[in-house]
Amino acid sequence: MGTVTPQGSIRQWPGVARALMTALVLFCAALPLHAAEEEARVLMLYGVDPYLPPFLAMDKAMRESFAGGAGAQVHFFSESLDSQRFAMETLEPELAAVLENKYRALRIDVVVAISRMALDFFVRHRERLWPGARVVYVGFLGYEFDPSALPPGASAVVSILDVAGTIDIARRLQPRARRIVVVAGAAEVDRRAEQQAREALAEADERVPVEFLSGLPLPQLETQVAAEPPDSIVIYLAQFRDRDGRPYEPHDVLRGLVKTSRAPVYGAAESMLGLGAVAGSVASYETRGRLVGEQVRRALAGGLPDPSRAVLAAPNRCVADARALQRWSLDERRLPSGCEIRFEDVPIWRQYWWQIALTLAIIAAQAMLIVALFAQRRRRRVAEQAELAQRAVLARALRLTLAGELTGAIAHEINQPLGAILSNADAGDLLLDSGTDRREELRAVLADIRRDDLRASEVIQRLRDLLGKRIVERREFDLNEVVGDLESIMRAEARRRGVVLEIRRAPDGLAIVGDRVQIQQVLINLVLNAMDAVAEESGSRRTVAVSVAKGETGAVLAVRDRGRGIAPEHRTKLFESFFSTKRNGMGLGLSITRSIVEAHAGRVWAESGPGEGAVFQVELPLAVANGASSPHPA
Amino acid sequence: MSTTPLIHVVDDDLSMRTALLRLLGAAGFEACGYSSTGEFLLQPLPDRPGCLLLDLRMPGPSGLELQEALLRNKIMLPIVFLTGHGNVDSSVRAMKAGAVDFLTKPVKRDILLDAVARALARNASQRTARQESDQLQVRFASLTKRQREVFDRIVAGKLNKQIADELGIAERTVKREREQVMAKLDANSAADLGRLGELLRHSTAK
Repeated sequence: MGTVTPQGSIRQWPGVARALMTALVLFCAALPLHAAEEEARVLMLYGVDPYLPPFLAMDKAMRESFAGGAGAQVHFFSESLDSQRFAMETLEPELAAVLENKYRALRIDVVVAISRMALDFFVRHRERLWPGARVVYVGFLGYEFDPSALPPGASAVVSILDVAGTIDIARRLQPRARRIVVVAGAAEVDRRAEQQAREALAEADERVPVEFLSGLPLPQLETQVAAEPPDSIVIYLAQFRDRDGRPYEPHDVLRGLVKTSRAPVYGAAESMLGLGAVAGSVASYETRGRLVGEQVRRALAGGLPDPSRAVLAAPNRCVADARALQRWSLDERRLPSGCEIRFEDVPIWRQYWWQIALTLAIIAAQAMLIVALFAQRRRRRVAEQAELAQRAVLARALRLTLAGELTGAIAHEINQPLGAILSNADAGDLLLDSGTDRREELRAVLADIRRDDLRASEVIQRLRDLLGKRIVERREFDLNEVVGDLESIMRAEARRRGVVLEIRRAPDGLAIVGDRVQIQQVLINLVLNAMDAVAEESGSRRTVAVSVAKGETGAVLAVRDRGRGIAPEHRTKLFESFFSTKRNGMGLGLSITRSIVEAHAGRVWAESGPGEGAVFQVELPLAVANGASSPHPA
Repeated sequence: MSTTPLIHVVDDDLSMRTALLRLLGAAGFEACGYSSTGEFLLQPLPDRPGCLLLDLRMPGPSGLELQEALLRNKIMLPIVFLTGHGNVDSSVRAMKAGAVDFLTKPVKRDILLDAVARALARNASQRTARQESDQLQVRFASLTKRQREVFDRIVAGKLNKQIADELGIAERTVKREREQVMAKLDANSAADLGRLGELLRHSTAK
């Protein structure tokens, strides 16, 4: 139900004309007068106890609707008749006299009359107490209020005691209910509510028997209700007094009922839903408060009372209490759609679903990111390891290639001792054949054979070290030794190629940490390159010099040739893979050399002046005393 | 002048050199070792029969280079090459330049000694030929100018009369000079003279 248009809207026309004229007069001549009236006064006139929860909620919402609003400063006053608990018949004249005294010097602009008693009081005494004040009535429509009773110029905020709607909700929740018990009080307002309930039930044409418990004293009422079977429906209207005239706070009565009743108790007012009532078709106090604020503002503005807005009604809605539903084992799914369920033990995830969803989404996104990063890291590590392995394989393949190039030198190095051994053995034979005692000579022969044998096996051992499939080592060794390891092979190769090989070692040991064989490979590679570089040269230019020395920041191995040098345009590409100036070069030697050197935390570079030949230098960090340097050879 | 052959061993590898010297010594040869071609060349070469056992590749000048140098200086010393890792190229080059043999280390005793023996045999015949040609030169030098003119023409296959006409002398004079030439050169017939002429041309052409 929306707004209720009072039937007597025509009767307001004189009021409208008056207001129009007043507005005109004010507008044309009395602006300062209006300014003096900046302060507006509103009297809240309660017919019943203003501290009852519904009124408190409504009052709060109304005052809030004024907060921050522009316009005149509004002062609120409050009076309570408390006519439910006091006999107004005898007190009214004296009360009116007191109020007359009280408000004589104070002009009240708007009186908000809450409940029918307050409205009636206002109508009876307005001229004496609050002359010129406009009234906003707040109360129930129907049993309490008839729009025709509204004084001229008044406006109203009404709510409807929706007994029929509440019973409808109860019937939905308890389709098999066999009885309906309606609890009502004996005060006048109680009786009017009961009357309205009876009419509503008659209209609804209930098929189940309906019993009214009207004005029973609370203990008796509780006993009676407790006797009801669980499949009954108990509707509580409100009880301000019992039939003996004993006053009650209506909510206390409800609390008592809820405590003892086995049957579900329903209420038709919003405040009842927090106190144990299961459900009801109720109007929101907050909405009512806002609507009151709206009517008060309109009345203060002195504007034309809009006939269509003169009576505003807060709509009734289905509201249920989840705790009560649970207590009486009622299925909330039976409630009409759109029914608001309060006090639900809302799981946190439902209450804050979007915050939680967002948080979870962020966490999930982070997790995915982390997983992705881990996966990426793993992939990179696998790739790096594969690259390392591949590089090791390649390095070995290149060592085999180097060995192929060195075949002549290797054969020489092995055949030399083998040849000596054979000749020595033959000589020994002949010495024995000679018949004379040549024991000393024979001993020398045998010693030489032994020495040459060891020499040959040493060459083979070195080759096996160089070429065998092996794990990369990380040990401390002297860079001079690497040159020593290869000296005979390098010399053999130099001899084969007719190249002069000069070798100069460092006077002191130069300890480095890493893989000895890989450094050997670096040396061989550089030396063979240098020999290639001088292949076309003749005379003293057919020279390759290998030197080991202590540099500024490490041990330096240098291989110098006196060939043609490096073309400037090649210098930058020298260490790149697949770059070669040799006709049959793969272009991997220097690239592997660099990767080996870098894996040993060192660096390799080339220098070359025009016509001076080239110098390739490898600098490797010296091992610190405790071996804490940490290169990771490939 | 000793007639015992001397075998020169040139190898930069000390143990190889020692073993070879020891083996040759045990086999009854006299041998002498050098660690490089340079060292060999620095030593005065005794006038004795002998041969050269030469490592193909050594620091400094190689065995092949020594071979060339000896040929250039007309030093007749047969060479047996020894190599740790030979290839076809160098062996062909060595053999073309007159090497006796080209052996790969390790080398068997029989093969080595056989090669040495062949080298020494070649050296001996070289030395004989050299002696013959030297003697021939001496005898030839004892001929007078007229006798040398007559000799040239006899070797060219001319008759006494033709020679007499060419030289403008009497045939009888030619006959007498011819007897003198045959006596001085220790020849018995015109055919002998022809052979000697061939030898002489050969030795002077060298």
